[in-house]
Amino acid sequence: MSKQKQIGMLLLLASFALVAISCSVASNKEPFFGKTVPPERNIFRYVTGDEPESLDPAISNGQPEARIYMALYDGLVEYHPKTMEPEPALAERWKPNNDSSEFKFYLRRNGRWSNGDPITANDFVYSFRRALTKETASRNAYLAYYIKYAQPFNEQKVFVRDPQTGQFLNAKDFDETTPAEPLAGSPLDSTANAEYSEPDVHLEGRPESEFHKQMHTPLRLTLPGDAKGRTKALDANPKLKAAVAGKEFVPIKAEDIGVEAIDDYTLRISLVQPGPFFVGLLAHQVFRIVPRKVVEKYGSAWTQPQHIVTCGPFKVKTWQPYDKLVVERDPMYWDAATVKLDEIHFYPMSDNPTIMNLYKVGEVDAVLNHTVPNAWLEVVRVKQDYMDGSEAAINYVLINTTQPPMNDVRVRKAFNYSIDKEAWAKWRKIVKPLTAFTPSGIFKDYPQPQGDQFNPEEGRRLLGEAGFPVIKKPDGSYSCPKFPVDQVEYIYNTQESNKAMAEWMQAQWKQNLGITVNLRNMEWRTFLNVRAKLEYKGFSRGAWGADYMDPFTFLSLFYTGGENGTGWVDPKYVAMLDEANRMLDPKKRYELLAKAEKFLIDAQPMIPIDTAATNWVKKPYVKGMYPNAGSLFPWKYVYIERDPAKWDYGVPDMTAD
Amino acid sequence: MLRFILRRLLVTIPTILVVITITWGLIKLAPGNFYSGEKRLPPAIEKAIRDKYGLDRPWYEQYGKMLWSIVRHGDFGTSLKYEGQSVNGIIRRSLPVSAAVGILAYLLALIVGITAGSIAALKQNSRWDYGSMTLAMLGISLPNFVLGPILVLIFSLSLYWLPPSRWGGFPSRNLILPVITLSAIYMAYIARLARAGMLEVLRSDYIRTARAKGLSEKDVVIKHALRGGLMPVISYTGPALAFLLTGTVVVERIFALPGLGNYFIQASLNRDEPLLIGIVAFIAITLLLMNLLVDIAYAYLDPRVRY
Repeated sequence: MSKQKQIGMLLLLASFALVAISCSVASNKEPFFGKTVPPERNIFRYVTGDEPESLDPAISNGQPEARIYMALYDGLVEYHPKTMEPEPALAERWKPNNDSSEFKFYLRRNGRWSNGDPITANDFVYSFRRALTKETASRNAYLAYYIKYAQPFNEQKVFVRDPQTGQFLNAKDFDETTPAEPLAGSPLDSTANAEYSEPDVHLEGRPESEFHKQMHTPLRLTLPGDAKGRTKALDANPKLKAAVAGKEFVPIKAEDIGVEAIDDYTLRISLVQPGPFFVGLLAHQVFRIVPRKVVEKYGSAWTQPQHIVTCGPFKVKTWQPYDKLVVERDPMYWDAATVKLDEIHFYPMSDNPTIMNLYKVGEVDAVLNHTVPNAWLEVVRVKQDYMDGSEAAINYVLINTTQPPMNDVRVRKAFNYSIDKEAWAKWRKIVKPLTAFTPSGIFKDYPQPQGDQFNPEEGRRLLGEAGFPVIKKPDGSYSCPKFPVDQVEYIYNTQESNKAMAEWMQAQWKQNLGITVNLRNMEWRTFLNVRAKLEYKGFSRGAWGADYMDPFTFLSLFYTGGENGTGWVDPKYVAMLDEANRMLDPKKRYELLAKAEKFLIDAQPMIPIDTAATNWVKKPYVKGMYPNAGSLFPWKYVYIERDPAKWDYGVPDMTAD
Repeated sequence: MLRFILRRLLVTIPTILVVITITWGLIKLAPGNFYSGEKRLPPAIEKAIRDKYGLDRPWYEQYGKMLWSIVRHGDFGTSLKYEGQSVNGIIRRSLPVSAAVGILAYLLALIVGITAGSIAALKQNSRWDYGSMTLAMLGISLPNFVLGPILVLIFSLSLYWLPPSRWGGFPSRNLILPVITLSAIYMAYIARLARAGMLEVLRSDYIRTARAKGLSEKDVVIKHALRGGLMPVISYTGPALAFLLTGTVVVERIFALPGLGNYFIQASLNRDEPLLIGIVAFIAITLLLMNLLVDIAYAYLDPRVRY
């Protein structure tokens, strides 16, 4: 290539660069990111994330799907658009019993499916049983385990019955750790102190059902349904083995689950434990109802657009997978008068820059959480359409506590002490430093405990105490020659922001402890597999967002052994959580939960890093949509405002009204 | 000739089976599951999911069942990730999208590439030659994941002329940017191949004879030179067309198109075994058929080639 040609090429490249720079400079002066022309019709165009796995609310546990389900299906309660507290939906009101172990829901009489059929309590009974049936393979079934016998039914366990007397064996006779039983001791109807204390006029004179009486008998013993598992369980407990001899095994049926339609419009749910938070859980997708007739007729094809019947504010109009899902206002919906949008177009997309481009040119009106790429934050954060709210989500670092040197709590603490989380939060810009395991400032009145603050001096001391003295070198830096660096690493799944966090941690440990931890990135599903099976040494990236608005959704990550990715399990911690959940007084319960949380952070099976913040954008003309802590939006309140005077300039007012 | 085609078709079958088997083996070896998430599922629920899709059956049973269903019914089964969606249905739905973009890009690449290459050859060492070859060099060295965003930046984000992404049906303005992005590299290759081929042919004896016979330059180029000069282009564009038809991962992702390429990448990230096998098999079949077509076209264009 001649010199002239080379100069020509350079000029060409330079002009590309100029265009790029000029447009980013131009957009800096604008109050909003990109165009702000409302769509012509009352149509809301939203990027909800990955392609939905299914339109069946029992199947998927993803958040992109959750938002679609909220448009299509209704439940007993719905999230409040700002606070995410439960507010009445298909249940007009509800009553807990004295210890919140049993709830009565009073359904509204004008609930209808999109095909016009009335919604009754039986639809809830069917949907709950279906979600818990093994063949449905619902990823979320575990959220319904609080319901009496839901877990053993989902696990296909059996009751044990004496063929002579017809009596079932009870759990508490064989296992002291069985929680105290709330229902067995309490009267059948103990709703006196409830919020709605008027008597159930419509139920008066009706005899108590056999089912309800049975729910108030002591918790039955359950054993694994397969012979192999059962033999194992029996061999472990000789007393049990002796008692079971000569008895028959009765498979647990869907009808045994603690859900009962008292009449067409009254539903009773009996729990296995007190559940003051239970109503808040019921807005979750797994508790939203599906149409029995359609599901039974079409099987897994029932969600196809030509068959599907729904019960939410919107119904399916067209569905082109990987392209768009169009839902339209459902005139049958009980609260159709509140619904303001004609249609919502959900676009399944996962590439963040592509999504943001679409937003900028005004082809979508809002995007899902965590869509603004790190490199764009500087430009987008200052715009008035950036939605910066507290998020019920945390970032943390898991530690494989099963191998030395990380099985020593002093070593784990040393690594925690030597991370300056304040500095991290300042650098990351949108997060808040965290020393505990629940997100800060999310759960009102929760006395969140404080963990250890940044203290590299203490970290070095503890490391020395554990047998790895940290030496200060003449140039002021540290080294820890005895520490087996080949026994630790930091793994994360390949993503720009995870990499940034990994490098930050690496630098902190290098600077404060003189230890260089190797980083290893891997593809998402490989990463999950390695972490779950504890095939990593040292540290792993972790993050969790709330399933429901209660600290327990975080604390329960360490409730069951082996599944939390750290190998840490402590029966004491489990007992503390159980005790807290038995508390009737919400304040006392929160105190005990906080105590358990303190216990957890002292054991340090993980290093808390930050409370996440929402990170998305919506056009100023989109009203009724708030950056709430779970990024879940009740769509019936969302509307397009055409008068610029009424637009949202900045984050809309989040105080509940 | 017919025998040749039949023989080639017969070889195709074991090739596809090998491809399917290797894909199946690789995805079985890959760590992770389609259902795994940030919080590990309780063991009972994991088991329910595995039982539902028969993932805990012995490997030979799973392999045999999959192969039988494919051979016997041409049915690749149901996607694991996308509940209730058949793999065949997904391919049927996404192929037109990929094909629309691919064929347009192919035509654009052929027209622009051959024209530019021929002009460059005919006017060797002229400004035209240098100009088009510089662009071709740029086209080859600029990967589509760079070119795509640059085009979007200019024509969508700055000028607001064209939509930056998404499928808008056929035909629509949404197609313009992906088609240009996709065709750039093919265009560049074709231009270079056409130039080289033409240069060689233009110097050959039969062209000199044609000129000596007093044919017009137009006739010499179009009737004689192009036919021989484009041979290298043909052998390149056959497999290229197969890849273009079956979707291109990067372009479909940048422009969020619901095509095969997008499904392909998602299926492997999701460990969606039936979907991945279906797409791989489909791409393999298309590729083999396109190669066969190239061979036939060769025989037709060059009388010296006989099978």
